[in-house]
Amino acid sequence: MPMSETFEPEIIAFVCTYCTYAGADLAGTSRLKYAPNVRIIRLPCTGRISPMFILKALQKGADGVLISGCHPGDCHFTHGNYHARRRWMVFRALLDFIGIPPERVKYSWISAAEGVKFAEFINSVTEDIRKLGPFEQYSQLIEQTQAPASL
Amino acid sequence: MSIEEQYRTRAKELLSGGAVKMVIGYGKGSTSDRRRPLFISSTDEVDRLVLDDACIQNLSGYLVSEGLLSDEKRVAVFLRPEGIRAINILAAESQLDAEQIVIFGFDVSGTEVKALKGIHVEEFSDVINSIKKGAPEAKEEELFEKIEKMSPQERFSFWQEEFAKCIKCYACRQACPMCYCRRCIVDSNQPQWVNTSSHTLGNFEWNIVRAFHLSGRCVECGNCDRACPVNIPLRLINHRMAEEVLGAFDHFAGMSKTQEPVLASFKKDDSETFIL
Amino acid sequence: MTKILFSDKLDNCVERWKSAGLTVIGPVQRANISTYAAVEHAAELDLGLILTDRSIKDLFFPQSEPMLRYTIKKESIDTDECLPPSGPRIIFGARPCDSSGMAIDDPLFGWDYKDEYWFQRRNESVIVTIACTKADDFCMCTSLKMAPDSSKGSDVLLRPLAGNKGWQVEELTDRGREAFKTIADILQESSDPAAPLAVVEKKFDLDACVTWLQNPENFESRFWKEISMRCIGCASCTYLCPTCHCFDIQDEGDTYTGIRRKNWDSCSFALFTMHTSGHNPRSTQSARWRQRIMHKFNYFPGKFSVNSCSGCGRCSRQCPVDMGITETLQEISKLSQ
Repeated sequence: MPMSETFEPEIIAFVCTYCTYAGADLAGTSRLKYAPNVRIIRLPCTGRISPMFILKALQKGADGVLISGCHPGDCHFTHGNYHARRRWMVFRALLDFIGIPPERVKYSWISAAEGVKFAEFINSVTEDIRKLGPFEQYSQLIEQTQAPASL
Repeated sequence: MSIEEQYRTRAKELLSGGAVKMVIGYGKGSTSDRRRPLFISSTDEVDRLVLDDACIQNLSGYLVSEGLLSDEKRVAVFLRPEGIRAINILAAESQLDAEQIVIFGFDVSGTEVKALKGIHVEEFSDVINSIKKGAPEAKEEELFEKIEKMSPQERFSFWQEEFAKCIKCYACRQACPMCYCRRCIVDSNQPQWVNTSSHTLGNFEWNIVRAFHLSGRCVECGNCDRACPVNIPLRLINHRMAEEVLGAFDHFAGMSKTQEPVLASFKKDDSETFIL
Repeated sequence: MTKILFSDKLDNCVERWKSAGLTVIGPVQRANISTYAAVEHAAELDLGLILTDRSIKDLFFPQSEPMLRYTIKKESIDTDECLPPSGPRIIFGARPCDSSGMAIDDPLFGWDYKDEYWFQRRNESVIVTIACTKADDFCMCTSLKMAPDSSKGSDVLLRPLAGNKGWQVEELTDRGREAFKTIADILQESSDPAAPLAVVEKKFDLDACVTWLQNPENFESRFWKEISMRCIGCASCTYLCPTCHCFDIQDEGDTYTGIRRKNWDSCSFALFTMHTSGHNPRSTQSARWRQRIMHKFNYFPGKFSVNSCSGCGRCSRQCPVDMGITETLQEISKLSQ
């Protein structure tokens, strides 16, 4: 029986400094194991996250994108996450209508105290995306940009 | 007196008295079924104005053309209800002073054109409210339903085929009254957020960005759809977004000139069903 | 008696050409738009259209073309050239206004620098045009001193037969003759008459227009502002035009690797002439529209002795605000009286 290579998804996470990133730190200091597939990009607040970032991550070949920040009411900047929440609702509906599977872009609230939640979140999302497989429809488009004109 | 004659007279009065410096309306096009935007500044041109069921374009976009309103004089413009909503949005976003806009409102049902009473944008709230209640239908309802029933992969393939046609002419952007940015996001290359090339990936990104930037601002006038030279059914995406903001935030674009933009405001109890 | 290609034999021709190693390309309907694409069978071709929505320019000057890939290393920069796909092809069913557009652009692409992307494709293509028996309100080839059966840029001209059963064959160039040698036995001699050509009314006096445009006093005329008030500055006219050829070179990539591409650009865009300082010599839409007309009917012919317009009318057909070259030139004709 031939050994099949397990697909290792590449996942980008955009997180806020004061909650989720601190939560990630806590997961680290608590020596919690979590999947290495996620690259974390730290921003001051989820309110800073523009949907352009999600598109850019997909453009560069990410199989999944995670976004996480402070719980509503706990934002370090008072209401950055409220704005973010509205944006995400709208953007999610847009991606869904365009055909980008909603399972590939995940959102969560993870506080600085939730190191365990962070590790669990990373692990479960990585597994979900591993099961989904590579984002082939998008990778085809990316490959096409490298190809010469067809005619 | 037909509405066309009524409005021509009104235009003449406003121009001769100096109440407005220009009337933006519709004129005969290059074929019998076409109408084109017309810019009248003198009374002897008013007979070129036409008004019938072929006058579909949303003319509100011309109001934000550079320098038009900077002399603080008034401009009259022929607008359908979508156009009137557009004025509200542009005023709410500080792109124009609604005081400067004199509205020649009209609506079309079938082949009949009827006048909408009112001069300034505040006087049309009843009309706009009744449209909101009526839940505007997408022009291509059938296709919209079809897409909604598709799986994500099928949807992606559908849009892939459509966006492969896109030539990045930006007619959709230029025709839209709400796309008034001096430097559009696709024009910036430090950093370059979306690929500007017209390969399918770049086309996906462009159309996604534009739809997102119009969420809660689109009045579904159809200018973009009609302008597209390669027949991409753009208004379906914008319709989906309008549906979303109405359902999630009870936001209907263009209700008043002080309405807060949907993505620049929030409620503490905005619903969230998908956040883990 | 003339050589005739009967339409029921077209599929045999396609097979023959394919076996000879040619890609067969022609007008097709795809996803709600008519364009040129490669076909496997004659049945895929739509030869009854007055004109395809997209022009034949797509086949010689694609909207986005990779030029080279680069990788930036510590000590060096590696580049890898991207060349256009090669392989002979036959374009069956182009209109004379499309093929003439390509001939109009040849001197430009070979002017101060020979554009190998353009010429490789030109040299590998045989263009078979079909004369027009139908025209619409937007066609204006005759105003540009061409005709529904112009042979400019064509390798083989086909004239539709009365009764729509096929075409009279007129081989014009060596390349055309070469391609039709492959199907010589499929062609037949017959005295079937050709159908009458489309009647395309002249819409403006081109010479009068050009004279008016060449007069420097008219550069600042109020006419330009009046005629272009409704222009929204999109690139529909530019991109659908068979002769428009401006492009932008973009690097798509990051600090380490990327691809340099040649993309269509349009003088109707506000940013087209934007300087790094922020100054824009064509800062109003009227200046940009003036540029378009001046370029096509004054500057380009000044260099290349031919107007940069083939009269296909796509600009006017597709313009979202019902503009296009025709009306401007009609107004100029009137002004020059």
